[in-house]
Amino acid sequence: MRYVVGYTANARGHDAVHLAVALARNHDVSLDLVLVIPEDSPFNAVYPPEAGYNDILNQQAQRWLDEGLDLVPEDVPARAHIRRGDSEAQTLIDAAVEFDAAALVIGATNSGLFKRFTIGSVASSLLHSSPVPVALAPHGYHRMEPITRLSCGFGTRPGADELLDVAVESARDRGLPLRLVSLLALDGGDSPQLLDAAWMHAADRIAAVDGSPAGSQLPEPEIVVAQGRTIEEAVDRLDWEDGEILLIGSSRLAQHRATFLGSTANRILRALPVPMIVVPRDYTRHSA
Amino acid sequence: MSTAPKTVQSKETSLSEKGLKAGSVGLIGAVVIGVSCIAPAYTLTAALGPTVSEVGVHLPAIFLVGFIPMLLVALGYRELNNAMPDAGTSFTWATRAFGPWIGWMGGWGLIAATIIVLSNLAAVAVDFFYLMLAQIFSNPALGELSKILPLNIATTLVFIALACWISYRGMETTKGVQYVLVAFQLLVLGWFAVSAFAHVANGTAFDATAISPDWFNPFAVDSFSSFAAGVSLSIFIYWGWDVTLTMNEETKNPEKTPGRAATITVLVIVIIYMTVALATLSFAGVGETGLGAGNPENQSSIFAVLAGPVMGPFAILMSLAILSSSAASLQSTFVSPARTMLAMGHYRAISPKFGKISPTYKSPSFATIAAAIAAAGFYVITRTVSENALWDTITALGMMICFYYGITALACVWFFRASAFSSVRAFFFKFLAPLLGGVILLVMFVKTAMDSMDPEYGSGSSVGGVGLVFVLGMGVILLGVVVMLLMYRLRPEFFRGKVL
Repeated sequence: MRYVVGYTANARGHDAVHLAVALARNHDVSLDLVLVIPEDSPFNAVYPPEAGYNDILNQQAQRWLDEGLDLVPEDVPARAHIRRGDSEAQTLIDAAVEFDAAALVIGATNSGLFKRFTIGSVASSLLHSSPVPVALAPHGYHRMEPITRLSCGFGTRPGADELLDVAVESARDRGLPLRLVSLLALDGGDSPQLLDAAWMHAADRIAAVDGSPAGSQLPEPEIVVAQGRTIEEAVDRLDWEDGEILLIGSSRLAQHRATFLGSTANRILRALPVPMIVVPRDYTRHSA
Repeated sequence: MSTAPKTVQSKETSLSEKGLKAGSVGLIGAVVIGVSCIAPAYTLTAALGPTVSEVGVHLPAIFLVGFIPMLLVALGYRELNNAMPDAGTSFTWATRAFGPWIGWMGGWGLIAATIIVLSNLAAVAVDFFYLMLAQIFSNPALGELSKILPLNIATTLVFIALACWISYRGMETTKGVQYVLVAFQLLVLGWFAVSAFAHVANGTAFDATAISPDWFNPFAVDSFSSFAAGVSLSIFIYWGWDVTLTMNEETKNPEKTPGRAATITVLVIVIIYMTVALATLSFAGVGETGLGAGNPENQSSIFAVLAGPVMGPFAILMSLAILSSSAASLQSTFVSPARTMLAMGHYRAISPKFGKISPTYKSPSFATIAAAIAAAGFYVITRTVSENALWDTITALGMMICFYYGITALACVWFFRASAFSSVRAFFFKFLAPLLGGVILLVMFVKTAMDSMDPEYGSGSSVGGVGLVFVLGMGVILLGVVVMLLMYRLRPEFFRGKVL
C-alpha cells in the first residue's frame, strides 16, 4: 500500500511526514513524498525573457526532498517526486490516483494562533474534493511511533454506516483498539433517549461488519458519546491518547467518491488535538 | 519490512524545460502575450509626451526608427537565450562573454531598468486610479488627490506592496484575463484615435494640425541630441515586443509561431502607435500651452489630460484600460528583477540570501521583497526631488534599457565570435544584427547621458546644477559600481571567475 505525502519544506510538510511515518508503521506501507512546484503560465510571460529559473527551482526542490526523505526512518520505505502543476491540491490528487494511493497525508498550516488546526488553502481544497482519504496532521505533530488507537466519529446521516465499516476494517487490519465517538448528541441536543439510540446503533453496526468477513476478531470497541454545549467543548471533554487518530466521514454535500468536509467535521477539526482522516463519501477499502 | 532505496524521482509530463505547458500557445495567444508585455496603453501615456517634447511633430518617424535597434538586439538576445538558457540572462551572458565585472554591471542595468519601470508603472496606475475615482463620482477634486505629495507616495507604496505580495504568492494572470486586457486596451486606444480625428474633422480640436509627410522623416529632427533622446525613449515603447521571439516549446508550432507572432505583434503595435501618435498630434498639436502635446504639464501622462477632451464621458474607459494594464504589468514585471537577483545570489555575485526560494509559494522570496523595497525607494526619492518625476524616470529608464541591452548585444557578438562566420544565418543573427544594435544603443546611451547633465534636460529638475535625469541614470549606474566593489570585498570568488 502507498501513501502520498504532500511535502513542503516547512513545518507543515514536516508534520505531514511525521504523521505518514506513524501511519505507515502500523501497516506495510511505503511513502511517496510529492513536492509540487508551480507551472508558469505562458500568459504571464516574464519580461525580459529568461529560461533558467526552473533549473534553479528544480535543484532547490531536489534538496528539499532530500531533507524530507531524511526525516523518514530507515524502516519505512519512501520515495520522492517532483510534480508540476497550477494547483497544488489537484496535482497531489493526480499523484495519489496515479500511484493508486490509499491515502493522502498533509499538514495543517501553522498560521492559526489559537486553534490547533487552521486549514490552509491546499488542505481545504483536498478536504473538499479528494477521491482518497485525506489524513491531516495538526500543527507541530512530532510523533513517529505507530498509532495506538483509532477513533471514529459517527452520526445517523447517510454514509455513516459505510464509514463505520471502513473504521472497523482498518482497526482490525492494524490490530488497533477501536473507539466509536457518537456525534448524535451534537446533532440534536443531549437527551437520554438519544444517548441510548447512539449506543444501540453503534453496537448494531459492529455486529454487522465484524460478523461478516472471516479472519481476525476485533477487540470489543469502546463506545463514547460526545457531549457538550458546543462541538468544540464536546471534543475537548473527550480524552485523547497521544497516538490516537480520528476517522471522520464526508458531508452529504460530497460528490460520489469524494471528500467534503462538512460543517460539523470542520468544527471538530478546529478543536481536535490529534490527527484526523477524512474519508470520501461511498468509499470502500480495496485492500485487506 | 522491506527497505526500498530512498530516491528523488522527477517526473514531468509534457512540459518544456522552462516549466511551461508545452504546445499550449497558438498564434493569437502569442500575439496577445507580446502585446500584453508591451502594454501599449501604459507605454503611450508615459512616453508620448516626453518624446514629443524632444522631437516635436517627428514623433511618428522616431517611433518607426526606434524599432530598428530593438529588432537588431532582440535577434541577438534570442540566440543567447537558445544557447545559454539561464535565469540571470544579461548578467550570465555578459559574465560569460566579458568576465565578472561587466557581467555584474549588465545584471545591475537589467535590475535597475526593471526597478525603475516598476516604480513608474505603480505611479501611472495611481494617477489613473484617482482620475477614475474622479470620473466615477463626477468630482474632479478626487483626481487632484494624486497631486498631493504624501498621499500620492502613500498610495503608490500601497500599489507596489500589493503587486509584490501577489507576485510573492506566485499568483499569475490567466489566459482569459490577458485576452480581455489586451483587447480592451486596443479597443480604447482605437476609440481615442477615432474620436480625436472626428474632433479634427468637426473643427472642435484643440489645435488642429494637418498631417504632413515630413512627420515621417527621421532626418528632419532638428538635432542629433533630440534624435538620440527620441530613440532611447522609443526603445522603451517597444520593450516587451521580443518576448514572443524567445517562445519555443510552449507554442503549438515552435518552428513558425514565434516568428509570425513577433511580426504580427509589431504590426499591431506600429499601427496602433502610428494611429494614436497622429491622432494626438492632429488634435492637440505640439504647442506648449493648454492641451498641447508639448506642454510640460502634460508630459507625465498624456492621456490623463487628453482623454477627457477627446473622448468626453467615455474617458473613463481610458482610465480603466491604463489602470488595468499597468496593474497587470506591475505584477508580472516583479518576476523579472526578482529572478535576476535570485540568479545573481545563486552564483554568489551578491548575498546568497537573494537566492532564497519560499518553500510555501516556490517563488524568490528575499529577492521579490528586495525588488519592492528598491522600487518604493526609487519612487520616493524621485518624487520628492522632482516636480515632474514620471517624465524624468521614463527618460532615465530609456537610458538604462540602452545600457543593459547594449551590453547584452555586444556580449552576443563576443560570445559567438568563433562561429560568427560559419554560415550566412550565423553571420547575420549572431554577429551583424547584435553588433549594429548594440553599438546604436550604447551610442544613444552615451549621448543621452551627456546631454542630460544640462539642468534644463527633461522636466528641468536638477540636483546641484546637474540635470535630474543624469543623476538618476548615471547615479544608479555609479551606485552599481559601488555595490560591485563592495561585493568584490565581501565575496571575491565570483569576481575571480570561480563561479560562472
